[in-house]
Amino acid sequence: METDVLVIGGGPAGMSSALSASQNGSKVILVERDKVLGGILNQCIHNGFGLHYFNEELTGPEFAHRFRKMVEKDKNITVLTDTLVTEIGDHKVSVMGKNGVFDIKCKALIIAMGCRERTAGNISLNGTRPMGILTAGTVQKMVNIDGKMVGKDIVILGSGDIGLIMARRLTLEGAKVHAVLEINSTSSGLKRNILQCLDDFNIPLYFNTTIFEVVGKDRVEGVYYGQVDEHFNHIENTRKFLKCDTVVLSVGLIPEMQMVKGVSINPKTNGAFVNEHYQTEKEWIFSCGNILHVHDLVDNVALEGKQVGLFASLYAQKKLNNGNLIKVSHSADFAYVLPYTLFEGEEEVEVKFRLKKKVVKSFIVAISQGNIIAKKYVLAGVPGEMMTFKFSKKGVKEEIVFEVRENGKI
Amino acid sequence: MKKTYDAVIIGGGVVGAAVFNKLVRIGKKIALIDSASDVATGASKANSGLIHAGYDPEPGTLKAKLNVEGAKLYPKICKRLSLPLKVCGALVVGDDKKKVQALYTRGIQNGVKELYILNRKELLKILPDLQEHITVGLYAKTSALISPYLLTVSLCEEAIINGGELFLEEDLESCQKEKDIFILKTKKGTFKTKNIINSAGYGYNDVAKILGTEEYPLEYRRGEYFVFSKDSTTKVPCTLFPLPTEKGKGVLITPTVDGNYLVGPTSEKSDYETITTENGLKEIKEKAGLILNKVDFKNAIRVFSGVRTICGKDFIVEKSKTNGIINLVGICSPGLSSAPAIANMVAKLLGFGTKELKDLKKIEPYKMLKEYPIKEQNEMIKKNKDYGEIVCKCEKITKGDIVAVLKRPIKIHSVDAIKRRTDAGMGICQGGFCFTKVVNIIAKTRKMKYEDVLKENRGSKVAVGDIREVNDGN
Repeated sequence: METDVLVIGGGPAGMSSALSASQNGSKVILVERDKVLGGILNQCIHNGFGLHYFNEELTGPEFAHRFRKMVEKDKNITVLTDTLVTEIGDHKVSVMGKNGVFDIKCKALIIAMGCRERTAGNISLNGTRPMGILTAGTVQKMVNIDGKMVGKDIVILGSGDIGLIMARRLTLEGAKVHAVLEINSTSSGLKRNILQCLDDFNIPLYFNTTIFEVVGKDRVEGVYYGQVDEHFNHIENTRKFLKCDTVVLSVGLIPEMQMVKGVSINPKTNGAFVNEHYQTEKEWIFSCGNILHVHDLVDNVALEGKQVGLFASLYAQKKLNNGNLIKVSHSADFAYVLPYTLFEGEEEVEVKFRLKKKVVKSFIVAISQGNIIAKKYVLAGVPGEMMTFKFSKKGVKEEIVFEVRENGKI
Repeated sequence: MKKTYDAVIIGGGVVGAAVFNKLVRIGKKIALIDSASDVATGASKANSGLIHAGYDPEPGTLKAKLNVEGAKLYPKICKRLSLPLKVCGALVVGDDKKKVQALYTRGIQNGVKELYILNRKELLKILPDLQEHITVGLYAKTSALISPYLLTVSLCEEAIINGGELFLEEDLESCQKEKDIFILKTKKGTFKTKNIINSAGYGYNDVAKILGTEEYPLEYRRGEYFVFSKDSTTKVPCTLFPLPTEKGKGVLITPTVDGNYLVGPTSEKSDYETITTENGLKEIKEKAGLILNKVDFKNAIRVFSGVRTICGKDFIVEKSKTNGIINLVGICSPGLSSAPAIANMVAKLLGFGTKELKDLKKIEPYKMLKEYPIKEQNEMIKKNKDYGEIVCKCEKITKGDIVAVLKRPIKIHSVDAIKRRTDAGMGICQGGFCFTKVVNIIAKTRKMKYEDVLKENRGSKVAVGDIREVNDGN
């Protein structure tokens, strides 16, 4: 097989970028390992999706369905479901699945495989390894797709969004969620999720707290938990026992980059370094969605996919022009600012960033050659929320540095 | 009248499985019983997966004799069972030339072939990343890697297709002797047998109590490990040991036969408890750092622990005072390496000899779709659409692979049993994406309820029931 643009991953980033590449005149093949398109959205049956993209509130499956219908109608997109990419070569990928084992050649590749969840092994969760230690995503699949209850007495480790959503979901299903334990002093989840999923159900959230040890031979019987110091060392005299039959892990997402060899990865995002056109170090490979950096809202994933689909399509048609590079850097107040390089030019550009600390009534400023070229006022910003900053780069030729100016002073 | 077995083996670890296999191949009527839901669920699933060359045990001990004998038997057994045995060698490294020399001499005394003493320059050729203080090493060329669980499973399967009988989830309740026949009662049934082999590992004394035979003071030593992903940058070409101490062979760094890397074990006195601890994992990090400059703990995908059951300094392989009972006690390391030799020894102790029947049946190799040539893969997918359905994306395992495993001689119904046989769930996502898929396939193929599928043993059901919507709908 052969195509202009090949997209790996049929979640929101993949579907959106495939549609956009096709609408911009390219032949597209979209490869998805599952039976249906939609990715993780299919198991996210709660609402809150689509407010930005469709201007209405949808559930995950509804959001996915809208995109799926558009993709299926598009005659320039060939969808290969039940198909797994096993290797990425040079302008080609190898796949296996229901259509057999074969290679697909492409002019441009969009990697949109999303994330996997951090596991018990990744965080060296100590104690025994019985049934009942599950990642939030697995719990979500069991409850929402398979219709099965995972347990009756739940402890959630980590305050990631899926963990918070599942705290509510499991409570509604009659389980008792005893606590959410967060090793950090702030939550990585969205504020609205803490309000709607924990506070509304009187589920306590303990900060600077983690599980010391899991107990139970065949099934989880409880956890020893307690507080940690600033280096995450256990403070032994705070050790307490909590009886439970299930430990749900919501301790972070890791971009699924293991198959993409030979491109450098930003240790802060675990995604590829990309330029303004979302090209990785290998210029024929583009990246978007959660595999690039973890987003809070699927709407933003879809928007990013749309943007990247255009770039990949132009590249496949040899119409993508990269200008002179402008380096992007930032102060220690940021975890990252993406893209990592921009091009000289007239257009407006939008950068996406995450803060490292909480800021209030502050300005985010872009500085080049000592001059502030743009600023954005932030009433309140927290590490848990991705933010964007749109500005004109007209006339800018040198490195742009992003900084935070606190207390309303520039 | 129910049949009388020539022997009933209690305990389906690698030793019990090797004995089971051998006695069936001799032509005896044999049953193997275990309380777990699969074989190899104790120490046999949680160890370093090494066939040691045999330089380590003290000369003159059973450990030395059986290790060297057993290691020699493995190539033939693995060929017969189509099991990968990767002879990658082992390096014992340190800064004490005398100790290395002593180890070499010990190896020669034990009858180990192909041992070499290497200087730093020679060591660096094999491992450029060795710590500065390491000046000398012993290279044992015959040291090999094996999958300890696939070995145990394959030994049992081969026994079963040649007439052996395996009974899982059996709880032994009593033992009586009528004339020369033992009557073993479990919660589910009765077994009549002329002989009994107690290979219950950590449960040896519990079984000995029921049998009314010798009990021994047992000591448990927990060994904790890290598993690294196949992408790990700690790509050691062979097994790396520090110089051994009284506590054991120390924290090693080794590839596994599957292409992952293991770092461990610790050796902590404990109850029989397979836990990992903060201190244990810290100890591993420190000790591994004494051998290599950089150890890639960032790519750790799992931590686990196994427990060695130790009884004094040597293995006990003996006839009990009760005629017809064989005691296998304290088969800790190098138990995996010794298992085939232990099986031969048991056969001799029982007076069966070791001569095997001819024309025994061979098991189907454990071969996943991805291991076939591409042309055959395409034919398999065309013929059976299950092979076109991806289940485990990390290890590239399909539904067809899993269904095929469920149809093999041991009737398993746990996610971990599937994991051990196919690698589904062994990869970097650790089953995050495939756990529920595997549960669904087991339930459907076995025609059982979803929530009755196990993670590992009885008591580890994967779900507690339907969600409310399902109940309300009924």
